[in-house]
Parts: sequence; C-alpha cells; structure tokens
Amino acid sequence: MSKMAPTVTIPGQLLGPTSKYKPGPGTHIHLSSLYSSLLGVVHITHPAKAPGPAKRLNKITPAPAPAELPTISVSRSGISEKREILPEVGNVILCRVVRISPRQAVVAILICGDTVLDAEWQGVIRAQDVRATEKDKVKIYESFRPGDIVRAEVISLGDQANYYLSTAKNELGVIMATSEAGSTMYPVSWKEYRDPDTGLSEARKVAKPF
Amino acid sequence: MATENPLVLPGDEIDPSLIPTHKTKPLRLGPGLRHVPPNQILPTLAGHLIADHRKNALYVEYNGGRYIPSPSDLVIGQVTRSAADLYYVNLTPYTPNASLPHLAFEGATKKTRPQLANGALVYARISLANRHMDPELECVSTSTGKSEGLGPLTGGMVFDISLGLARRLLMARSRDVGKVAVLELLGAEGLAFETAVGRNGKVWVNSESVKTVVVVGRALKETDEKELGVEQQKKLVQKLIKEMR
Repeated sequence: MSKMAPTVTIPGQLLGPTSKYKPGPGTHIHLSSLYSSLLGVVHITHPAKAPGPAKRLNKITPAPAPAELPTISVSRSGISEKREILPEVGNVILCRVVRISPRQAVVAILICGDTVLDAEWQGVIRAQDVRATEKDKVKIYESFRPGDIVRAEVISLGDQANYYLSTAKNELGVIMATSEAGSTMYPVSWKEYRDPDTGLSEARKVAKPF
Repeated sequence: MATENPLVLPGDEIDPSLIPTHKTKPLRLGPGLRHVPPNQILPTLAGHLIADHRKNALYVEYNGGRYIPSPSDLVIGQVTRSAADLYYVNLTPYTPNASLPHLAFEGATKKTRPQLANGALVYARISLANRHMDPELECVSTSTGKSEGLGPLTGGMVFDISLGLARRLLMARSRDVGKVAVLELLGAEGLAFETAVGRNGKVWVNSESVKTVVVVGRALKETDEKELGVEQQKKLVQKLIKEMR
C-alpha cells in the first residue's frame, strides 16, 4: 500500500521500499527497504523526464527504467543542496601542519577541493609518502614545519583518527610557509623557501606553483 | 675589563664600538644574540658580551639554568625505556626524552646490538635538535663509523654541575680560557680516574677506588658552587688531598 514518505526522520526510520525510491545521501538499504541514517529533513528529487521516443502503437514499451525512480535523501541542515562534504580518496586537499615527528607529519585538513570544511579533520603524511623518489632518506624536518599550509592528496580514508595523505607529486607540497624569524617566505626551488628580510633559506618540500 | 666584556641584559642596546669588524669575514652571531633586520643586534640572554676579533664573532657568555639541546653537543643521558628500535634517553628532568636508535652504535647490526638496561648511562652526541621535535642522539660518528669515546658508561657516578662549568670543562684550553684546572690538578696529585662531561650539566667520574670518585666529585661541586678561580682551586685540591690521606 502506498504511503507518503515522512518529512522529518530519525535514524532508523523506514522511508519506503526500494521499488519506489532510489537511495540518496543520508539513507541506507536493509532488506529491500530504505531507512534514514541521519536526523533531518527528507528530500525527494524527481529525475528529469528523459524525452522518450514517439509513441508507436505496435511497440511494447518496457517498464520505467530504474533511473526514472525518484531519489530520496535525508540532510541535517534542511537545505537540500548543502551536503556534508567529506574528503574522498583521490581528492586534493589543503591542510595546515600541526606537529611533526621523525616518521610522519600530523595535519589538520581545512579545504577539500574548493569547499571549506565545517570541521577540521586530522590527517597524517607519513615519511614514505612525502615524495616519490628516495623515500627512505626523507627527513620530515626538512620537508614540513608546524604552521605550513600544504596541498596534499588523500590516499586512504584511514582509521578512526586520521586520513592518510600524500605529497608525492610535483604539484603537491608546501604552498605557504613562515620563516623562523616570522615573515612569509617565497619558494626558490623544489626544496627551498627563502625569507625576503633575512635572506636565509629553509628546507621544505615545495609544491610547484600553477 | 668591565667595558671590554660588559654585562648585558635581554633587550639592551649594544655599543657599536664593541662589534668587531673584519675585512673579509662576515660578522657571526653566537648564542644569546639575535639579528633584527635590517641592522639591529639584540641580546636575548643575560651575560657577558664577548667579541672575538679573530673569528669576527660576537656572543653572550651566560650561565643559564636550562639546557637547550643543539646539534653535535656531547651529552650524558640515562636510558628510561626501550621501544621498537630505539632507546628513550632522558637528558634533563625538564625536557622530553631524546631517542637513540638501537643501531647508532659502533659495529651494531640487527643481531649484535648493545643491550642497555633501563637506568644505564650513555655518552652520546646530539644528531638532531630543533624546537619542533624531540632531540635525537647517536653514539657513533656518521662520517667515520667509529664511536670515538661515545657509548654506554659502566660503573662510576654522575654529578650535576652548572651549564657554564660544563662548557668550560669541554673547552680545548680549559685551564687558560675556561679557568678550570681542578681535574688536571687532581690528576697531578696522583689520583687515577676517568671522566666524561656532558653539556647538559652532568659529569661522570669513574675510578677503581670509591674515595677518588668522591673526592673528584666534591672538587667539581665546590668549584661550581663557590665559583673558584684557578688559585682557589689549587688550595681546594690541596685541602681535599690532605683530608683523603
């Protein structure tokens, strides 16, 4: 029997059968039924009707294809267009180095693609993921320092605490760095930044500017 | 003498006539001074301002309380625990532990590495030290592969001394420039002992007789606490030898 999908849902609430709706963000399927995963407002988006062929009297038209089913999704904020953006494998992100240790650099992921994230997710750049060549000779102290802004790529969603990131490409690495004396430095080569006031250089893994 | 090596406090202005000049060498600033661009030199520590005209260097000689690790310093540390392939070594009570890799000893391979128990003393060189990370040590010289006196210290006893005295003991000409001659004088009196001085304010003394170790330790401590000059050190050594016999 056809039931209208509810407007506000709690996690675990039944939304409808999979024969009637397609699952969107914020929902999951269990035994051919769609359930909500979040506390929020339900949105149903009807797909644009594909222009079908002109009706022919002697042709048997097939049942509506699955793509024609409306998509049901649940979102927290209530605005159907705003989705929680999360870093996925392969995304290029911008992050700030929080602390360094001999084997890895811990960073806070700030921007994913072009979107500024609501929350700061923690990421880790391991020493073997800093560059593509001579991976065992990497010194984290000569690649990153706390406070640097780094462009990196997500290589794994990781465990409960961290995403795993990599800067092993020419265009990945430190894009903004501050010197020991406190002024912003400009890049000189792939491994050096220079302070304009004192003239001293500092070693970093520098990202190639576009 | 006072105007030659004036006492400076952090932030004091330095008299431009004290800054050495040289035809070819650039001016080098040692510990305790900071260059504020474009052309200001500020002391950051309290001490005597020393100018070395031969090397064209300027620095502040201070007797500070905290040891700040810097690369290629020789230090005496105590092993606190052993992890996967490192030892954690404690240098001072107020800093995080330094790490010493298991393989950073002379002739060490995965099968033949020295077994240091917790609490063992080790004489090591600082290989990496900066503000952002815990210091790292090594007991072997990376260029030659030889230990050159570094490694575990067995027996003996460790005494705490001030950082200033440690620096003076480690100088090449400790008697003339550093004004510390206690160890030489004690050796001249016939005592047989060996010492190791750590820049982190520790001296290790070892000898076959316990009395010798105690006398050497006392001599160093008194020189440090009472700030004895060379003549007073001679008198102290005479007194201690007399008490011993």
